[in-house]
Amino acid sequence: MADSATVPRPDQDDSELKRSITGRLLFFYTLGDVLGSGIYVLIGLVAAAVGGAFWIAFALGVTVAAITGAAYAELVTKYPQAAGASLYVNKAFGNRPLTFLVTVSFLAASMAASGSLAVGFASYFETLWSAPPALLVSLVFVALLVVVNFVGITESVWMNMLMTFVEVAGLLIVLIIGIVHIAQGGADFGVLTRIDTSGDYGSPALAVLAGIAFSFFAMTGFENTANVAEETIDPYKAFPRSLVGGMVVAGVVYVLVSMAAALTVPTETLATSDAALLEVVKQGILPFSTELMTTLFSVIALIAITNTTLVTVVTQPRVLYGMAREDVVPGVFATIHPVRRSPWVGLIFSGAVVASLLVIGTLVTEAGGGIDLVGRLATVTVVLLLAIYAIVIVACLKLRGQDEDHPFFRANTPLLFVGLLGNLAILYFTIYDDPYSLIWCAGLLGVGLVLFLAEYFFGSRGTGAKTPDLTEV
Amino acid sequence: MHVIVATDGSRQSLAAARQLKAFADPAKITDVSVVAVVRPLASVAFADDLAEGKLDGSFRDAARSAVDTIAAVYDGWGPKVHKRIRSGSAANEIIKAAKQYDAGLVVVAAGGRGLSDSVLVGSTAQRVQHYAPCPVLVVRPAPRSKK
Repeated sequence: MADSATVPRPDQDDSELKRSITGRLLFFYTLGDVLGSGIYVLIGLVAAAVGGAFWIAFALGVTVAAITGAAYAELVTKYPQAAGASLYVNKAFGNRPLTFLVTVSFLAASMAASGSLAVGFASYFETLWSAPPALLVSLVFVALLVVVNFVGITESVWMNMLMTFVEVAGLLIVLIIGIVHIAQGGADFGVLTRIDTSGDYGSPALAVLAGIAFSFFAMTGFENTANVAEETIDPYKAFPRSLVGGMVVAGVVYVLVSMAAALTVPTETLATSDAALLEVVKQGILPFSTELMTTLFSVIALIAITNTTLVTVVTQPRVLYGMAREDVVPGVFATIHPVRRSPWVGLIFSGAVVASLLVIGTLVTEAGGGIDLVGRLATVTVVLLLAIYAIVIVACLKLRGQDEDHPFFRANTPLLFVGLLGNLAILYFTIYDDPYSLIWCAGLLGVGLVLFLAEYFFGSRGTGAKTPDLTEV
Repeated sequence: MHVIVATDGSRQSLAAARQLKAFADPAKITDVSVVAVVRPLASVAFADDLAEGKLDGSFRDAARSAVDTIAAVYDGWGPKVHKRIRSGSAANEIIKAAKQYDAGLVVVAAGGRGLSDSVLVGSTAQRVQHYAPCPVLVVRPAPRSKK
């Protein structure tokens, strides 16, 4: 964790306020956050839904997400605090129950995302060492991340950048394989326009919409950049460029990787694989030992998934901490470890909720629930986040004309309406396609409700922000 | 002499600030810089245990409030008091500040009592002790029995 990025300023006056997140770091933070979540985990599901032309789903999905990112950039430059969506909704509507619901939804989405990523981690891990059961691997993974977060290794910006480079490198390998395959003349470009209408989705439009819904998990993560808003140097310039720029770069990478995967691997193979991108490497197109490449690629995928999961694991206790300070959940979540300065109760609690998701999910699957746990948890995340994204865009539009006394980024209004429609369409389809995901959403939101009731009936006001007896120290 | 008093918003850091005032000669100290470091990628970027009040989403405000509380300890003491909020990794920023202001002493709090300190290596106080360019005063909590 030896890192630091404070940029020294010449002014040496009495009050010094230094920020450390540069536009470049923010760009890599966005990219790392978005790229890790999903493409490694979900590409198989998307290929199954759409067929060879599944790159279209990624292209359209990332467009909707980038527009939502523009709304976030506008709001972040207006209100540069770490609270994100909850803060914007509170500013726009001033309705406490709605703010609470959005905050809890965000927390739930983040927990479901951690769960989905942990299962994805286990799938890739299995290709390296298949002895331990997947559930055990994912539980140990979550436990390790909790410890790592407690100790504070996650705070290194350089580590974050390094992991992002590894992530991009993994996807570059896929691209290079695609290019070599094309150069060898083995590629059938017809596959890129093939939309599979023989499955559950009768029309091409529905198949693509299904693909967008499944791929959308890969677009999420950018909302976590609000975490570092306050510490960003010159946010007015940095945010639009780094956040939207990061999304666009992620989008281009996604489309190219999808094309490369579709050209090199039969769609049916992708569709049935748990670690679909690995299939590309296994084709043995590059003149290296397939075994070596497979191992290397698995390690890269594991690092990519870890990078993204870390951010979700950092975010959950932060949300709980904020809510505890607001007296809407028990004050114990505001407990900070005296040495580590980490919110350790919130951390352990988040880890425990994610672990129960994994255990319950595995039990349901084994009992013949017929679900794919990665997909189910990803869907839960997507449903909750799409609702939040839609509300954030509405909040952005509603807050026009307010708090505009300082420079801020203004997102294109017609585009915001397109983004709003896009989010709602994907949300509608996702729920229509998988209504059972609502039960999981309700279950996770229920956790928030239980915490609220615990504070309401047993908590005392002010526990979250208690005044210490200063004579005591 | 320029003295740096670091605060992480903990009550122990307030005790450390008072410790300095208890024995040091204000005539020999020209400047006191109260330094707080916000950690952008941490779950809680800055927690202020020293004041009442809601978080309101701003960790900077929490850091500012903690720095104000610590700076108030030296009100009317003599040396010029500077309030500084930095951003990044806590130990690194404190060490950098010590170099930048040519500090003659760094005051830090060590929060732990026993176990947590020895099991988890690499706490901020430890790293500052090892790498600071000047003497370091580490103020440890009083043993529990004395309280």
